[in-house]
Order: sequence, then structure tokens, then C-alpha cells
Amino acid sequence: MVLKRLAPLALAACVETAPPTHRLVHPSRADAHLAVSWIGHATMLIQIDDRFVLTDPVLVDTIGGGLSHRKVGVPIDPGDLPPIDAVLISHMHFDHLSLDSLEKIEPKVRRAYMPEGGLVYLTNFRFDAVDLARWETVDDRGMQITAVPVHHVGGRYMLDTWMHAFTGYVVRYHGVTVYFSGDTAYAREDFRETARRFPSIDLALLPIAPIHPRAIMESVHMDPAEALAAFADLGARRMIPMHFDTFVDSVDAPHEARDTFERLVHERHLEPRVTVLEIGQQKVLSQLH
Amino acid sequence: MLAQLVPSPELGFGGVAPAAGMRWQLTPLLYSWGLYRKLSPWRTFVVEPLTRQSGSVELFVSPEYLDGRTDEWIVRAGVHATFPVLGRGEKVAFTIGAGGCFGGESSAEIEAGFSLLYGALGLFVTYAPRLSLAPATAMLRLRWF
Repeated sequence: MVLKRLAPLALAACVETAPPTHRLVHPSRADAHLAVSWIGHATMLIQIDDRFVLTDPVLVDTIGGGLSHRKVGVPIDPGDLPPIDAVLISHMHFDHLSLDSLEKIEPKVRRAYMPEGGLVYLTNFRFDAVDLARWETVDDRGMQITAVPVHHVGGRYMLDTWMHAFTGYVVRYHGVTVYFSGDTAYAREDFRETARRFPSIDLALLPIAPIHPRAIMESVHMDPAEALAAFADLGARRMIPMHFDTFVDSVDAPHEARDTFERLVHERHLEPRVTVLEIGQQKVLSQLH
Repeated sequence: MLAQLVPSPELGFGGVAPAAGMRWQLTPLLYSWGLYRKLSPWRTFVVEPLTRQSGSVELFVSPEYLDGRTDEWIVRAGVHATFPVLGRGEKVAFTIGAGGCFGGESSAEIEAGFSLLYGALGLFVTYAPRLSLAPATAMLRLRWF
């Protein structure tokens, strides 16, 4: 049983990247007050009116020096991305801070935001970059970006776990509030404090995997049930799940996180508030206000 | 700092017999030009992997133990420059250097090598023509900080 569970991890480097079912060619929407496109894993393109925010951009098929392959290819040519007002980097792991991906979009990026202490992992890109301490807010030409607490691990190279460069973000612009957690364990107090400070979150982007082995993962990653609990704690109106079905990063069965999550959403009658995207799909939420 | 206590294994050639050895690597001072420009480019002793790999020049001091025909401790010191090759140096970087080695014998030396995996693993070759015990050494570099 254990060997059966571990088999997917052993094969992570051998995964063949399938072409995406959906392709994003024109992700910018003139009619959108709020639109979200899932590029895979934790990479979300968020459009709030005329502003574009890209989270944890991974726009390459392999990460970690080629050790981990995408299961589904990148659904957008980086050249088709609009000018990016803000790149949000949640933490330094290879599946969230991809230097190769940042090189691909370097001319399009105006500014990158990183957790406190994260700049040392960035290298000298041409775009501006700032790191934010917990609860620190930056006003970026009318768009407020706040670093909010989550519970994860820092570092990038195994021996640097003493680094605590990880964060979630809240983005506010034109009356819209979007929450992006990055990777996090279930952290009730952090989520409730965020809800107290941001009592009108329109959209929460939350991870639902990896799930197993739970004894290890639960201290750093939420499972689908915990993600829904976080959604409730945050008091958000809508939720879109992320961080599943993109890389082999656990011993989860194929589609286990998505299937479990959709079952829970159905059981709790949350379909009107929760949208599960396919990689490359876009959801326009312009009816929010 | 503790990670710097882990030595890198090496083999010396060109002497009477091949010599196995261990080399420790210390960085008293490093300047990085690849680091994000808002950060201080200077480091002493503790150097984050990408700070070195993304482009840097450093002073190095390397105590070394060679176990050849006669056991010998030597100290190498000099200057290294590291240039990113792939992945901003995180995947592959190239290093060249020059300096001297001091101990029972002294010699000028030159060094070159590649490193992979954010600098954790590398292959370096050093040539010190007047070090009769082992003028040429090949080192499997293990390094974290």
C-alpha cells in the first residue's frame, strides 16, 4: 500500500506533460470588473478593472532543475499576457518562485511583491521589487497590496528553512478585495484575523492539495475540507481552489483533491459561491458589485 | 556557518602518487553583482547560494588536508569569480579563480570549475605547479552557504 502510494512521487521526473485542454489567448477582458484565469498550480491571473495581478508565476513545464514536470502544459504564451502591474510571490519554493518564468515575463512586469526576506532569492531582474512584512500595506497607484499571515515553511534549498519568507496577500482595488494565500496549512487564527481586518473579501484563492501523507502535509498544506473551513473563516463571498492537478508533488491519487473538493462543495450546497476551474479557464466575476 | 564545516573530497594528481584529500571553504568577503540591487551586495562568511551563483567575486580561504606520500596540511587563498550560466546560476554556474597555496611548499595556483544545483554540487580543478605533492587536484565541491 505504501509503495503504491509512493509510486507517483518516484515518477515525478518521468511525467509527460499533456497539452492543456483550454488555451488563454486574450486573457484581458474589457467587460470584466473582476476576472480570474487559472494558469495552473498557484499561478492565477487576476484582472480588477484595468489592473492585472499575477500570482506565483510558473510558466515553464519543469521546475526544480527538471526534477518535476507539469502534468498539464502552460495554457498561455507568456507573450499573450497583458502588462502585469503586480507579481505576487508567496514563498520561495521552486513551484512558486520560478526564476525561469520571471525571465519570460520580465519586460511585462512592473513590480514584484515578495515576503519579507525574499528578495535575496530573486536576483537582479529589471523590474522593481519590494518585500512586505506581515500586515504591511503598499499603495500601488491606488491598488492596495497587504501581506497577510499564513502558516507554511520558508527557504528554498532545504538547509535554509530558518528563512521565514512566506506570506499570503490581500489585494484591494476599485472596491474589490481578493485574497491569495499561497501555500498554507489550516491556520484558523490567521484567517480570522485577516477577515477581521478585511471584512469584505470578494474572492479567496485557496490551495486544496497536496493531501497525503496527511501526517506530514497537514502542518504545511490544507486539504479540501480545510480549504473550505478557511473559506468560511475568511468570510469571503466566492472561492476558487488552486494548487492541484498541475505537478506531482505528493502521493495523492490522480484528481483526488479535485474530486474530494467537488464532493464537499456539493454536500454543503456551495456551488453558487465556489468555482472549480480547469487549467487555462477564465472566470469573469464582473457581477460582484 | 555549520554547513561550512562539511569538507569537499578531492584527489590530487601529478605527484609521486595520487593523493586523497579534503578541502574546507571559507569566504571572508564576497561581492555579488547578481543579487537584487536593493540589497547589500557584500557578504562575509555566510553567503546565500544564489548570492554567489548569480554572479560574484569573493576572497576565499581553504584549509586542506592531503593524504599522499606524506600527509600534509596546506592553505589555499585567493580570489574566485562566479558567473551564472543557466537559470541565473541556480542550475549551472562557472567559476574561475587564482591565488596561492601555502604549507610545506608554496605555489601560485589557478582554479576553474562548474557548479550545479544552486552551487551545492560542483567539479573544480586546481593547478598549483610548484606543489610537488599534488600539483593538480580535482575536487567534488559540496557547498551550501
